[in-house]
Amino acid sequence: MHASEAVQQQLKDDWDNREFEQIIADNIKNIANFLSSFELSCRTKLATLSDKLNLLERKVEFLEARVTKGDTLS
Amino acid sequence: MNANVTVDDAISNVNLLDTLAIPDDLPDIEARALPLLYRSNFDTNFEDRSAFVTGIAKYSEEATRHAQFNDMLSEGLQHAANMYTWRCCSRAVPMAKSNDQPNRTEINEMVVEVLKPEVSKLGSFMRFTLTAIQRFCEEVRRLCHSEKRRDFVSEAYLLTLGRFINMFAVLDELKNMKASIKNDFSTFRRASQFLTAMSDTQAVHDMQNLSMFLATQNKIKDDLKLQMKTIEGYEELLCDVVNICAHMYEHQLYLSPNEKHMFVKVIAFSLFLMDGDAANVAKLDQKKRLSISRLDKIFKTLEVVPLYGDMQIQPFAFVRRSSHYEPSKWPLSDKESDRCHVNIVEKVQSIRSDHESYVTQFAKINNEVAICDRPGNDSENREITSLALSGIQLLCQWSCAVVETISWKLLNPTNPKDNRECPENAEEYERATRYNYSPAEKTALIQIIAMIKGLQSMLGKTESDMSNSTRKCVYVELQAFIHHTINEPLQKAVKHKKDLLASILQSVKDSISDAGNELNRMTDVKGKKKSSAPKGDSANSSSSDIRIPRRTAAPGSTQLYMARTQLESLISDKLCGGKKILRKELDSKTIEKISVFLRKSAHWPALFRLSDSMTEAGELSQLWFREFYLEMTMGQRIQFPIEMSMPWILTDYILSCNEPSLIESALYQLDLYNDAAQYSLFNFNKQFLYDEVEAEVNLCFDQFVYKLSEMVFTHYKQLASCMLLDKRFKAEILRSGTMIRSPSAARFESLLQQRHVQLLGRSVDLNRVVSQRVNMALLKALDAAIWKFESEPLSSIVELDMLIDTNRLCHTLLSDVLHSIAPFDDLFQEANHAVNSPHGRITLHVFWELNYDFVPNFVYNGSTHRFVRARHVFRKTPAREKPPQVGQVYYWGSKSLMAAFMNICNAYSQCIGTQHLKAITRLLHYQGIAVILDELLKMTNRLLNDKIRRHVRNVFNMMPKVCKLPRSDYGSNALLQYYVHHLEAVGKYPELKSEFCQDLRELGNMIVFCQQLEVALGQEEAHDLFLAAAYTGTVPQPPARNAQEQMKQLAKLEDKYSRIHLTEIIDKISPDDGQAAIAKDAELMTKERLCCGLNAFENFLVRIKQMLAADDIWTGGYPTNGVFWIDECVEWYRVYSALQFFLCQPTRDDNEVYAEELFGDSLQWGGLTLITLLGQHRRFEVLDFCYHLHRVNKADGKDEVISGIRLAKMVERIRRFQLLNNQIFIILENQLNENNDDPNERVREFAPPVHPNYANHAARRQ
Repeated sequence: MHASEAVQQQLKDDWDNREFEQIIADNIKNIANFLSSFELSCRTKLATLSDKLNLLERKVEFLEARVTKGDTLS
Repeated sequence: MNANVTVDDAISNVNLLDTLAIPDDLPDIEARALPLLYRSNFDTNFEDRSAFVTGIAKYSEEATRHAQFNDMLSEGLQHAANMYTWRCCSRAVPMAKSNDQPNRTEINEMVVEVLKPEVSKLGSFMRFTLTAIQRFCEEVRRLCHSEKRRDFVSEAYLLTLGRFINMFAVLDELKNMKASIKNDFSTFRRASQFLTAMSDTQAVHDMQNLSMFLATQNKIKDDLKLQMKTIEGYEELLCDVVNICAHMYEHQLYLSPNEKHMFVKVIAFSLFLMDGDAANVAKLDQKKRLSISRLDKIFKTLEVVPLYGDMQIQPFAFVRRSSHYEPSKWPLSDKESDRCHVNIVEKVQSIRSDHESYVTQFAKINNEVAICDRPGNDSENREITSLALSGIQLLCQWSCAVVETISWKLLNPTNPKDNRECPENAEEYERATRYNYSPAEKTALIQIIAMIKGLQSMLGKTESDMSNSTRKCVYVELQAFIHHTINEPLQKAVKHKKDLLASILQSVKDSISDAGNELNRMTDVKGKKKSSAPKGDSANSSSSDIRIPRRTAAPGSTQLYMARTQLESLISDKLCGGKKILRKELDSKTIEKISVFLRKSAHWPALFRLSDSMTEAGELSQLWFREFYLEMTMGQRIQFPIEMSMPWILTDYILSCNEPSLIESALYQLDLYNDAAQYSLFNFNKQFLYDEVEAEVNLCFDQFVYKLSEMVFTHYKQLASCMLLDKRFKAEILRSGTMIRSPSAARFESLLQQRHVQLLGRSVDLNRVVSQRVNMALLKALDAAIWKFESEPLSSIVELDMLIDTNRLCHTLLSDVLHSIAPFDDLFQEANHAVNSPHGRITLHVFWELNYDFVPNFVYNGSTHRFVRARHVFRKTPAREKPPQVGQVYYWGSKSLMAAFMNICNAYSQCIGTQHLKAITRLLHYQGIAVILDELLKMTNRLLNDKIRRHVRNVFNMMPKVCKLPRSDYGSNALLQYYVHHLEAVGKYPELKSEFCQDLRELGNMIVFCQQLEVALGQEEAHDLFLAAAYTGTVPQPPARNAQEQMKQLAKLEDKYSRIHLTEIIDKISPDDGQAAIAKDAELMTKERLCCGLNAFENFLVRIKQMLAADDIWTGGYPTNGVFWIDECVEWYRVYSALQFFLCQPTRDDNEVYAEELFGDSLQWGGLTLITLLGQHRRFEVLDFCYHLHRVNKADGKDEVISGIRLAKMVERIRRFQLLNNQIFIILENQLNENNDDPNERVREFAPPVHPNYANHAARRQ
């Protein structure tokens, strides 16, 4: 009592579909993972940049305060 | 966007993402950081069962029931979650106080409105429970039917029944525990009864039922037991459930702590259910259907399991509660041990070695796969699959250890007797958590949690590769199994006409084989390569067959279930469809192979959803949940403080235990909050719990950052202090038995490098937040240092200098790890208040000290070059600021360092010397020094023109107009008498020896201070220049034999150092001409600092000279003889001579104090500087009264007492005064004439002497 050709074909189709789904899911997952690590990487770089900007900003503020010595109210 | 992208294109685009470099080279000490999580779920819950037309109908039916049961289970879990997280509402709603309160209707209406949705949940809970019991009993009845009793029931199905039993147990315990549910319900009932007269009988009936249901303890358990008892042979079925659970437990066939604990709970509760009217358990034991000793052992290994959240249960308690319990049969479990079955402190050793070996293995395989750029072959896939599985198993084991320890501790709270730290009035939860762990236990827990989270994160990173390999591997195994194991017995069965066996085998084959694929890819070249794959055991070798195609697809969940269940039925001892036991028809080899396959494939579903399995296996949210204990407080507490919260207890321990190796695990502990938040949102579906977690995280993270910053600051401060502590001092005190420890190594670096800590979906830049706090701390430290200086005398400037140096070093060390700390000089200026005011606090205080303390109260000692405080002071110093009240960390870092530095500073506290002046020059810079000198000049001016001038005028008035130099023939005794007589009036001037001297001392102090300051400044500048020499192109002359050689060598050296010659480099590389010009100017400024003419002291003297020149009182105007005054008492030096005459007189009694004791050398400095500046130096030396006396006495050597003055003593004193005076004159002369070497200038030409008759005429011409 072998399974009929039709059933066999269906089974194969089932495997094919599952593989396809799996591949799509995997790739979406890869995209998601990529985005995750991209975000983390960006955060690191932005943090470094932000540090530099902060220091510069502070420096500017400091210099401004020095220059306007005494007449800060103006 | 192009809509026609093909799938292949899309996939290759995704693959391209891999080639993008996204560096994030932070140390990985955080749990799996996932800003975005994608989950795909291929579990169909048997939805596709009908598609498996080739399967045996019976299993298809079973799948249907399975699906139903799974749905019911998840509904049950939701009810459990509802009940567990139930918070008492009735305590919050207002009550109508009396029956005639006017707004009682509104109140009741509101109560009903608020509670109605909650009560309806209770209603559905009751209905669900009743249906579930009924449905479960129906199922049991069906399976225990006399016809079917010997039939095969699949393992998966028995486990589902087990889960059901577990669900009943959990629900019942939750219902028993939650008193607030009953209270809320009765509040609702009262309110609704008040509102309506309950016309609806159905509603009344329902209400009554629900009330009964809620009020009856153990209602679910008892109901279930009651119904079960009526089923004949139900104990046999339960016995199967118990056996399967025991089997799973013993062989560790579980992949999450939940599953493990469920097995034990199921065993215990099933035993309770079995124990019906007769001692069924004992009977079954006799029949060998059960083994009590085996179960006894299981209960012993797991005494306490979490029931739900923070609710614990002793599984054995169920057994003990059954009516036919015989203690003697359970020798192990019957007595409770007083120690936790998991010894976490010892366990951590084995866990660590497991961790190490696993990580090594993991790295090895991963690297192997990574370096060869090709899809992995079968054996690699198999390895990775088993790696993934063992990874999850390890996670599960470790989590179990943690969870079980926590559970045991919760169930066995400590008490003040066992733990002395536990106060008498500690509340229950506090005793269960806060005081319940020894430091060693906390350390162990922290380490295990770190390993769990670390491994989870490591697996998570390779999760997609792993699941890919797993699927490939499973596919190959599955197909190989059909080819090598199923085909042969199938052919045999067909041949021997064993229809049933053949049909099942065929069905298995049909349901999992990928026949079409096989045909298509038979000649796939890829397969051929595999022939060389290593041949292992029988199962392994079969899968490396070339005829099997490869695919990266996992079998569907239903598909696998069908295949497994059918195979299981083949090798089962029970009847399977019909009346046969099929096992007998198979040969032993096949049975062996099938059972190997079954064992292997048991874990496949978990591997297919690898990510979720990993999360479940390492899920530790339970450490945070405390609903049970909150319920226990009966509304006393709305939430527990963080000191009682496990995640914070562990984090806090890391920060306070002084164990540097733990510090890197800190973020893993905070991840427990992530677990709790995730669980609240996705499993409990309760926003309010999430909010509470969030609130706690906000608080804890602040605390964490606060404590961490403090630790970092303290550590680096201590480090800096230790580095700057004098090495010899350290050695000395070590010899005398005091040890100053350097701070132990701390591993803050990797923690501080974190720029994106993931916490509840937020991303925190840890480095930045710590930087901010440390910045504040540095500022505070500098402020404290300056403040301290402001509260102390000038001598503490050395301490201030040292403190600032320490802070500077601390800043340098910190800025290596923290990237947004402001530059030190900016911070210093800010603390010094010198940013937008011209003078800093230090300058102002230095001047304050000079003005109020130093100048009036100190005396100079020429032989030590130091100023010391005089024994008697004439001016009172106003009170200084109060010293600041700040911790030691802001000074030197620790108590011992503080003591050490205070000792060192004490050496400088009694005087003002070179060190102090150097410190002043370093701290004040040119600007501050200029301010100070300017102010000193003003003070000098006031002193000269006001006070001293007044004294001078007074003294002149008392002096004789003319005081001639008596001839030496009279003898020194007569001379003394002469002077005593002539100067008698001056001696009576009351302020002579007090105020006048004091004023001269002040003048002298200012002058010497200025001189010493110049010396210190010169030394500092020389030091600076020396350091800068290499960068300014100043090359010292090399030693050589002759000039030519020296030139050559010099050229060589100049060439060598030209590379660091700053100006040249800037000239070369800077595109901006302006910058080069600025650099040149700066270099010139640096080099010319020591050039002649820029001497502050000299200029100071010149300015005083100018002041003196403005007034005739110092010089007596133009001399009448046109040359100089000789015997007339009009010039300053005469006043000083008179003063000196009195100063040189020896004391007449012991109580009198010599002037040098009171005023030191400062007095002389003041007087003599004026003499020098007025050009009266030579006249003083020749005409001074004392000097004359000394000269004459030298010749005649007489000694006599005249007017109470002993001549010899006086002369001796004069000699000493003269020596000192000469010294001072030399210094002053050198200073003043240093730069005018022209001898002509100093020669004054006079016209030939003129006859007195023409004198007036000559004066006019002059």
